[in-house]
Amino acid sequence: MRVSDLIQSRQRNWQELQHRCSELEGASGRRVPAEAAARFAALYRAACADLALADAYHLPPATVQYLHQLVGKAHNQLYRTQAFAVAKWRRELLVNVPRRLYRDASLRLALAIFWGVFLLSAAMAFSSPDYADRVLGKDLMMGLEEMYSRPVAGRGDGATAVMATGFYAFHNPSIGLRCFAFGLVFGIGGLFPLVYNASILGAAFGHMAGSPNAGNFFHFVTAHGPFELTAIALAAAAGMRLGFSLVSTGGYTRTAALRRAASEALPSACTAVLLFLLAAVIEGFLSPSPAPYWVKLAVAITSCVMLAFYFIGLGRRAVA
Amino acid sequence: MLTAPKQIDTHIDIVTPENTAFEYRLAGPFRRLPAYLIDLALRGGLVLLGWMGLLVAFRFANLPDVGAGLGLVFWFLVAWGYGGLFEALWNGQTPGKRTMGIRVLTVDGQAIGGMQAVMRNVLRVLDGQPAVFNLGGPFQYMGPFTYVLGLLAASANNRFQRLGDLACGTMVVVEEPSWLGELVNPNEPEAIPLAEKIPAGFEVTRSMARALAAYVQHRRRFAWKRRFEMAHHLAEPLRQRFGLPAGTNPDLLLCSLYHRKFLAGENSP
Repeated sequence: MRVSDLIQSRQRNWQELQHRCSELEGASGRRVPAEAAARFAALYRAACADLALADAYHLPPATVQYLHQLVGKAHNQLYRTQAFAVAKWRRELLVNVPRRLYRDASLRLALAIFWGVFLLSAAMAFSSPDYADRVLGKDLMMGLEEMYSRPVAGRGDGATAVMATGFYAFHNPSIGLRCFAFGLVFGIGGLFPLVYNASILGAAFGHMAGSPNAGNFFHFVTAHGPFELTAIALAAAAGMRLGFSLVSTGGYTRTAALRRAASEALPSACTAVLLFLLAAVIEGFLSPSPAPYWVKLAVAITSCVMLAFYFIGLGRRAVA
Repeated sequence: MLTAPKQIDTHIDIVTPENTAFEYRLAGPFRRLPAYLIDLALRGGLVLLGWMGLLVAFRFANLPDVGAGLGLVFWFLVAWGYGGLFEALWNGQTPGKRTMGIRVLTVDGQAIGGMQAVMRNVLRVLDGQPAVFNLGGPFQYMGPFTYVLGLLAASANNRFQRLGDLACGTMVVVEEPSWLGELVNPNEPEAIPLAEKIPAGFEVTRSMARALAAYVQHRRRFAWKRRFEMAHHLAEPLRQRFGLPAGTNPDLLLCSLYHRKFLAGENSP
């Protein structure tokens, strides 16, 4: 058979396949009728066979290149992404993540670093105004003093609370995700934002605890503190897990170790984002509200109990 | 049999589970940059429109603060979720990637999952470092980035994978809008009578057919002296074998062989 005849006899199939590819591309997410799917699969198989036999058919290189592109394109339409397996999220969040975190040395390290730096910075700021001055800077200190010179109660109405929640929901998880992504640099990339945030927050806490407006300050920060401060450490820990996998590969190649760690670290980072969002809602609505201090304290204690249950209770149960 | 060594270029071979082998061309930085810029512009526009829309909508409800708050939430979602959401729902493409004809796949050539799509886009903030200008505050997560770190990582492996790609086992390939051209015709009338003189029993081998097709496809770009020089390596032994007179045009001889193989064919029953 002449090559030109062969190409001519196949050409219509190839062009139909190409046409169907473009059609499917536009049909993302829509269901494809069974007839069209079957026809597509048959055409795909035929094109694959033509490509496999291209050498035996003596097809010229230009045609072979065309077939490579055509088969690649059809392959991408046949094997489409599964997008999000939403059904698996519940199990991931409530079973897999706590189980991993319960045994995760990175989380312990991140928590130790964060709380260590935080408490140290707080103690130093409490004892020496000079330290707080240097860490926070004049502007931030004046801002803090000014902000908490008034009592917390009656800062705004519901609408302002939504605004504040929106701001925290944007700003805080962004810091967390950045912390997470930078952790990939051998685990030390995430240390900088972690230590930076711990020392700034610690200094602010220590400084305000010693100021005459301490009451106002704690009235504001108590309720959302547990979720927010845990979330930062959790995000950093997920990042460290990524980075440490490059150092301690467990017998895999570095890329393979990173890939394994990534699939485990992302759910932790998502959990951190969820915690940030919870904190943002509390920080936007409850923290600036005139509710009595014991309500806020109760919320803080409840969140601590919830966190302990999540990390220890669920973690242990899943391990057992 | 000696097979030709694999060319060192940006094509990578994929073998699918059903044992189909084909190749993809990897997308380099010059295709991915425009895609990124398009996405950056779209993302900015989306945030602007969404925020304006929310602000205006809630101004009518006399709750401008609620609009601004929801706008910030929307901004967060777009800043961190735009790429991941599109790549997960659009089969590995964002609008910018679709415009530039590129697609994200796993290194095995399969479609990416939602987790991979989200992860590689979260890690974009690391790959993009250092940022072009750091506006500070929330703006630093939106870019634009210089992608120096990502470029370094991509140039250090053979699949152009930035750090986000390495962590997820993904790569970006070109999906060209391909079209099948006509079979090249050498358009040499003198080649047809010459084809008659080639012995009927002569079989063109696979590798020779490849060489002939490649030669005829490209010969137009060369002057006749250069054509002679290239063609005579194959044409000279053939001429001796066919018993053709010395001084036969080597370019024409290859064209006639091509004509017989690809166009006129062996007219045997």
